[in-house]
Amino acid sequence: MICLTKNEQGAELLTGYLAKTLDAAGMAEVDRHIQDCAECRGLVSVWEKLDEFTAPEVTAGFDARLYARIAEEDARRPWWRRLLWRPAVPLVAAGALVGLGLLMVPRTHDAAKQANEMDIEQVAQAVDDLDLLTPIAQ
Amino acid sequence: MEAVAALEQDAQLMLRVGEGDDTSFALLLERHRGPVVHFLYRMVQNQAVSEELAQEVFLRVYRSRSTYEPTAKFTTWLFRIATHVALNSIRDGKKEKGHESLDVEIEGMERQVADRQPTVEQEMVQNVKLREVRQAIEALPAKQRAAVLMHKYEGLDYAQIAAVLSCSESAVKSLLFRAYESLRGRLAHMA
Repeated sequence: MICLTKNEQGAELLTGYLAKTLDAAGMAEVDRHIQDCAECRGLVSVWEKLDEFTAPEVTAGFDARLYARIAEEDARRPWWRRLLWRPAVPLVAAGALVGLGLLMVPRTHDAAKQANEMDIEQVAQAVDDLDLLTPIAQ
Repeated sequence: MEAVAALEQDAQLMLRVGEGDDTSFALLLERHRGPVVHFLYRMVQNQAVSEELAQEVFLRVYRSRSTYEPTAKFTTWLFRIATHVALNSIRDGKKEKGHESLDVEIEGMERQVADRQPTVEQEMVQNVKLREVRQAIEALPAKQRAAVLMHKYEGLDYAQIAAVLSCSESAVKSLLFRAYESLRGRLAHMA
């Protein structure tokens, strides 16, 4: 078998083997291959060497420091912005808008009615004016 | 409702944080604090800096609570933020400040080891190995380093790493392979 590091598919197989994401057949295939391939064995060995790099435990005050920063940031925000993100506020605002809209609808209707009546009056007035003008023209 | 039920647990928790549920934020912090700090520690190789960066990551998560949309796995989103923060920090040279303390940290460990007679040699060998691995990882270009750390230590799959690094899955595969090849070259002498 050609060394897996020499082509893209082989490399993918090898990285899958390292992360143990291959199926059983794939794992067995690479297992067999690395017995005979020093280069691939070297790559597997690197993966194992990386285990040496352990990370220290998170220090005890981590959460307390974070919550203090959150509180500090919250306190710096203007009061209206602090209110804005709360989920109830958009709902209340939406409700207020709907209410305002409902109050406006009858008024708008009245205004339209008034405008209609004015139009009729204007037309009537215009006709009267024409009637007055007609004898002069004649 | 079905869509919400199908969401992964972390995404559901994050949506609850957006609704003002601080307990859900505490749960997310509990679950992801370790992996995020460890990832950042291996990226910048300094404990104090890594914790400072992790605080920034969780602050950003908290700030995004009302605009969060579960379009990807929560861990992908989280590591995207963490990687962004780490790459910025490396670019801005914060790591340079922490470099001295890394050496002091290792030297301190070596001094402690020297006081314990029975395992002095073994522990010193261990420390040398650790230093070499750290240096080999540090020598990788930042993007390759992030990919290796997510692949090796955090168990992210190709698709997730691709989403974190904003590249294709095939680019991630080649990035990882080049990184492992380079590590093999640097660590070949290690027994």
